Amino acid sequence: MAQLSEINISAQPNKSPNKRAEIKKKSLWVRIWEHKIFYLFLLPGIIWFIIFAYIPMYGVTIAFKDFNFAEGIIGSDWVGFKYFKQFFDYYQSWDIIRNTLVISLLKLVFGFPMPIILALLINEVRARVFKRAVQTISYLPHFISWVVVVTLMDRLLTPYGGPINGLIHALGFNEIAFMGNIKTFYPLVILSDIWKSVGWNTIIYLAAIAGIDPQLYEAAKMDGAGRFRQMWHVTLPSIKGVMVILFILATGSIMKAGFEQLLLLNTPATNAIGNVLDVYQVHAGLEQGRFSYAAAVGLFQGLIALILVVTANRISKKVNETSLW
Amino acid sequence: MKRWSLFSIINYSLLALFAFCTLYPFIYVLAYSLSDGKEAVRHTIYFFPKGFTFENYIQIFKDTKFLQAYKITILRTVIGTGLHVLLCAMFAYALTKKNLPGRSLFTFFIFIPTLFSGGLIPQFILYRELGLNNTFWVYILPFLYNFFNIIIMRTFFQQLPNSLEESAKIDGCGDFQIFLRIILPLSGPVLATIGLFEGVFHWNDWFTGTYFVNNQALLPVQTLLNELLTQSQALANAAQNAMQSGGTTTAAMSTTTVTPESLRMATLMVATVPILCVYPFLQRFFVKGVMIGSVKG
Repeated sequence: MAQLSEINISAQPNKSPNKRAEIKKKSLWVRIWEHKIFYLFLLPGIIWFIIFAYIPMYGVTIAFKDFNFAEGIIGSDWVGFKYFKQFFDYYQSWDIIRNTLVISLLKLVFGFPMPIILALLINEVRARVFKRAVQTISYLPHFISWVVVVTLMDRLLTPYGGPINGLIHALGFNEIAFMGNIKTFYPLVILSDIWKSVGWNTIIYLAAIAGIDPQLYEAAKMDGAGRFRQMWHVTLPSIKGVMVILFILATGSIMKAGFEQLLLLNTPATNAIGNVLDVYQVHAGLEQGRFSYAAAVGLFQGLIALILVVTANRISKKVNETSLW
Repeated sequence: MKRWSLFSIINYSLLALFAFCTLYPFIYVLAYSLSDGKEAVRHTIYFFPKGFTFENYIQIFKDTKFLQAYKITILRTVIGTGLHVLLCAMFAYALTKKNLPGRSLFTFFIFIPTLFSGGLIPQFILYRELGLNNTFWVYILPFLYNFFNIIIMRTFFQQLPNSLEESAKIDGCGDFQIFLRIILPLSGPVLATIGLFEGVFHWNDWFTGTYFVNNQALLPVQTLLNELLTQSQALANAAQNAMQSGGTTTAAMSTTTVTPESLRMATLMVATVPILCVYPFLQRFFVKGVMIGSVKG
């Protein structure tokens, strides 16, 4: 944690009381005039955030309107909760919500411990070159787009001359059509998600581990702890705080099951278990042009996500005395 | 000499296995893309190309559609990343000025959108109303600023020694000159980190091209790869149906040296290799960037 907290401290502005008093003497307008060049630095950003962040925030109101392009966001008629009702009346709406939750939870249960385990293993490596090589390789999938990942999967797993099925065939089993198969869909979603993110997610854990006081290990060694028990009794408890914070962040995105991944992996054959809120918005909104309806689905999703992250934060505050805010 | 403990042996083996699983897909695709397309259909490739040839790469670099897409990808990556880094750096630098009236207000102003975002549909409507859809600018303008990148930069700028700025001021340097001649040249690591993050985003973004652009001449490589993927999935379905009805697969009937599949693998390699060549050299920097981002975010 030393590195983390060091950055944190140096990020705090210096507030020496003398300087503060000195600044107070100058009038506000003088100070603003002195900084005119910096307002010029900020100006394009302010305009950008208004256009690309705040206007879409207002645009959410179309969830309560009958939006069409001719009348625009402001001109379209208010219809209240019509589109929310329409979504909940839709016979697949609960399936979509359930799929979203199931996929997120599966990813959380299987995916969350992985970077911790990997970080612990990497931390135990003494050979520098090997350690660095493993780390560099582990970051690689983070830099690859989901289109490339799904293309790789498509090619590796195909029953028509793919290496995985080649191996299965060589071992005397029948080829399996992995892609677009309802039986292998969830395992593929989870495994590909882990493959892509596990290395990148070790960065924070490794930084936290690097900051642990070596004396703790010395003491544990004196008490006769082997490397495995040192891991269990020193390393893991020391990174508990980081784990909790990352867990809270993860629960906040539980309503997002992995937008790009599922948009690409989900096919008509797997739609019954693979259709999630994010993907449904794209299909309903961008492909079918039902803008207000899709915006209502999106707003519902965002609202639940906000409630979840606030709740998780509150629980963690009580239980662990660690929280995001 | 210390003997290898059982623990070490297991640990090193597990990590070697992990590294292999991460790398293997790329080894396989490289082998496939260097294979004769027909041979690749006939044999299963594992590690080494069958009927070694550069024909697949020669073909895609003759393909005008691919070349146009590659040009778009390079253009948007260079322009989008350059503007993003410069504008975010200017914003972040202004935020380091402790006496700037309204400083915390501006930080708050750009923080709020990270909590509440309009979502996909209002974004799409905005682009349409601005006339961005189907133009090159839809790749650039929506991605000019990012809260977390600004904060990472601000944190870095704050660590630079104040005395440098003060002595430059005494020498008669204006604020803009200080930013350009002193701050930016000293900020290599953070500029490289943000440049990498943003560059990778631009290089990999297929969604914008797929959903906000119809004009074929404006599609980036990743969107092209997505089209190839969709075609391949359709082809696989057709092949499955053909198998069930006792026919031969379309892939097996191919007689040319290059097949759609071997071209696709070559396209994938060309779309991926530039990133693979860049990121290992910036590792030192981006690891630090991730930590600042996670602490402040």
